[in-house]
Amino acid sequence: MVTGRATLLLVLSAATLPLWPSPWLGLAVFAGAVLVLSAVDFMLAAPLRDIELTRDGARTVRSGETATVSLRVANRSPRVLQADLRDAWVPSAGATPSLHKVVVEPGSAVTLETSLTPTRRGDRPAVRLTLRSYGPLRLAFRQRAGRPATPQWTLRVLPRFDSRRFLPEKTARLRTLEGSTVTRGRGQGTEFDALREYVIGDDVRSIDWRASARRSDVLVRTWRPERDRRVVCVLDTGRTSAVLAGAEPRLDAAIDAALLLAALALRAGDQVDLLAVDTAVRATVSGGRHVLLPRLVNALAPLQPSLVETDFELVVGEVLRRERKRALVVLFTALEPGALGDGLLPVLPRLASRHKVLVAAVHDPLLAEARGDPYLAAAALRSLGERDRVRSALTRHGVEVLDAPVDTFASRVADTYLALKQAGKL
Amino acid sequence: MRRWHRFSVPLGAVALVFAVTGVAYAVNEPDPSDPAFLSPVSADGIGGQRLAQALAARGVQVERETRTSDALVSAQEGDATLFVPVPRVVHPDYLAMLRLLPPSTRIVLVDPARQALDDASIPLTPRGRRWAARAVPPGCAVREARSAGPAAALRQRYEGEGVHCYGTGLVHLSWQRADVVVIGASDPFRNDRIGEHGNSALATGLLADHPRVVWLDLHKLEPPPGVTDEPGSPDGVPPSLGTDPRGGSGDGEGEGEGDGSRGGEGDGTGSDGSSSGGSTGSSASNVDDENPLWDAFPPWFWALLVQLALAVVLVALWRARRLGPPVTEPLPVTVRSAETVYGRGRLYRRAKARGPTADILRAAARDRLAQLLTPTPGVSLVDAVAAATGRDPEQIEGLLDGPTPESDEELRRLQSDLDALVEAVRRAR
Repeated sequence: MVTGRATLLLVLSAATLPLWPSPWLGLAVFAGAVLVLSAVDFMLAAPLRDIELTRDGARTVRSGETATVSLRVANRSPRVLQADLRDAWVPSAGATPSLHKVVVEPGSAVTLETSLTPTRRGDRPAVRLTLRSYGPLRLAFRQRAGRPATPQWTLRVLPRFDSRRFLPEKTARLRTLEGSTVTRGRGQGTEFDALREYVIGDDVRSIDWRASARRSDVLVRTWRPERDRRVVCVLDTGRTSAVLAGAEPRLDAAIDAALLLAALALRAGDQVDLLAVDTAVRATVSGGRHVLLPRLVNALAPLQPSLVETDFELVVGEVLRRERKRALVVLFTALEPGALGDGLLPVLPRLASRHKVLVAAVHDPLLAEARGDPYLAAAALRSLGERDRVRSALTRHGVEVLDAPVDTFASRVADTYLALKQAGKL
Repeated sequence: MRRWHRFSVPLGAVALVFAVTGVAYAVNEPDPSDPAFLSPVSADGIGGQRLAQALAARGVQVERETRTSDALVSAQEGDATLFVPVPRVVHPDYLAMLRLLPPSTRIVLVDPARQALDDASIPLTPRGRRWAARAVPPGCAVREARSAGPAAALRQRYEGEGVHCYGTGLVHLSWQRADVVVIGASDPFRNDRIGEHGNSALATGLLADHPRVVWLDLHKLEPPPGVTDEPGSPDGVPPSLGTDPRGGSGDGEGEGEGDGSRGGEGDGTGSDGSSSGGSTGSSASNVDDENPLWDAFPPWFWALLVQLALAVVLVALWRARRLGPPVTEPLPVTVRSAETVYGRGRLYRRAKARGPTADILRAAARDRLAQLLTPTPGVSLVDAVAAATGRDPEQIEGLLDGPTPESDEELRRLQSDLDALVEAVRRAR
């Protein structure tokens, strides 16, 4: 293929045609010369099959941050490689620069760097790499689809986990609950921890008279919150999760809250499982106490809302199949009469009889301008009424319901968990 | 969509009927540029062979001419009928020559357009035109028409001097010295229509007035006559006609007369006429051989043009190769927040559902008041509110359980009044 230079050559030489005794001969000479030069240049361009491309660099990046992926261009041919190289990622990967100009000496290699600032969570693949190898005169170039082969690379963009900032505070409250940081006062809870000698100020109700009778001292029992409980986070990735809550879909708020809850539960010594379901199971993480949080983040990263009705029968079946012991099932969904009333309520008793269920929902941010327009205001009030009806129907089944706006959602979920733990309801 | 269909289907059907009618009409309408159209040798439906045979049977000599100059020369001899079935293709200069014909020659023009009439300076103007020819009684004193009776002659109507027959579809006038018949319909002359009504009698009557018919069988535009307005040329004959270089090579019928007129033309004009005719002829052959545009520019200009065209091809090749196709990516599904609320609100508004809207607003206000006042049994909500705010119980009753608002304005007032009431109760506690 020819470049703009060949064209320019032809145009410039055309200006000399009036000086030729026979202009048609001049035309033939010029056209032939450009053709021959281009052909020679094409032959002298570095062959594409002798170019090797390899990638290296970041595999994951947190959403909003910038990662760098390098591309090594090795020239195995005996000719100098002068090339334009387009490294095409999906648009949401935010790759810059998209076009590299490289010159590689024979037998050597050059490393190009592409910095990526993804705009969305999930897997961001590098789609295609196109190499255009110019001849020494840059009159012609070689380019062929699929040659050299595109080195595959996928950058996984992890959720931002903004609610990390709540974690120290929640952990401090957890410690207070356990009684390990506050010296005065004993840990609250329902699980027997140890016996120790009575000191003035202890609650006399916690004196263990039977143990005191065996010893000469007065002994009191100490309690601590239950450990080794199980927490199951169930994320509804159906149509209701696609609704924007603020700038992001409801699913992102749910992921954020689920990560905070998991981090907190792990510090409290509980086991965390995770399920993401719409009409099929989209992601699942279970067991393993040590490396759990990174695994969770990794599993949650590629989740996307899909426009289908969530199959709550499947949700309940999966939870019952996976969790034999009693667990806290946190269902991240939306309080919507259509989805929950028809889908969840019929199967809820089966779940609620075996496990403690918490339905956590992000508010649809309510309309600010709804106040002015009576029709809109009535529609909003009606939606609120329906939401309340769903909430009371759920509460009748002994289910805890949390309905919070997006900015405090994660924090409120963690609070609810701590409150349940404190009350020994896990 | 439905509403749109309700209008488009019948309108489309009507448009279809019109289109089919138009196409069928266009197909049926004879094409004057068809060589068979009113040709004395064509046996087609639109031809004129039957008319020619009928004329021959009445002892009229039919001379078919395929060039206007020959026809004019032949008609110039007098005591003949010049029949022009397609005046549209006759060159205006020839039409202008019609008035030079002797008074003993009758000219019959079939459906001449305004332009043709103007060119021939016949004092007639076309008026309305019918969709098809109609058979009407003659209603005039022209001999041929009267003897023919009703005939399909009314199509194009004419206005002007002369005797008007068949509802102005046929005009007979003595104009200048000539005897001119203008007829607005071709039907009486056509093979397929000549048998209907009095068509045959009318057509033959019009053409058999003189012992000779010069039938101009011409269907294509002709080059203009090479006229030289030589002052010395004899009056009455266009000087070029006799000396047209191709004049003698015409059809056999026209040949004898053509030669005769050429002979009588005189010597002085002969050379001039031949020189002018010759020059036009040679220039015409030049046009056929080589385009003068080639010589208008130097050769390097054309070479330059070709080279630039090659450059354009190179530009196309260069720009056509892209650096890989664009990259596509599925977009994530997102739903605007509160979409159902907006949708429902708009539905209420479109349905003008003031009753249900007011009910919802009132129920919400009642709930809110009940929460604020913690109702005691035995005391109605209205009384409790009245006690808390000191307002008139009837007014509160009207607000909480009144009639349905009649307009959007009232509904808006109800909404703000309810808000104010709740606010007042909240402040009173």
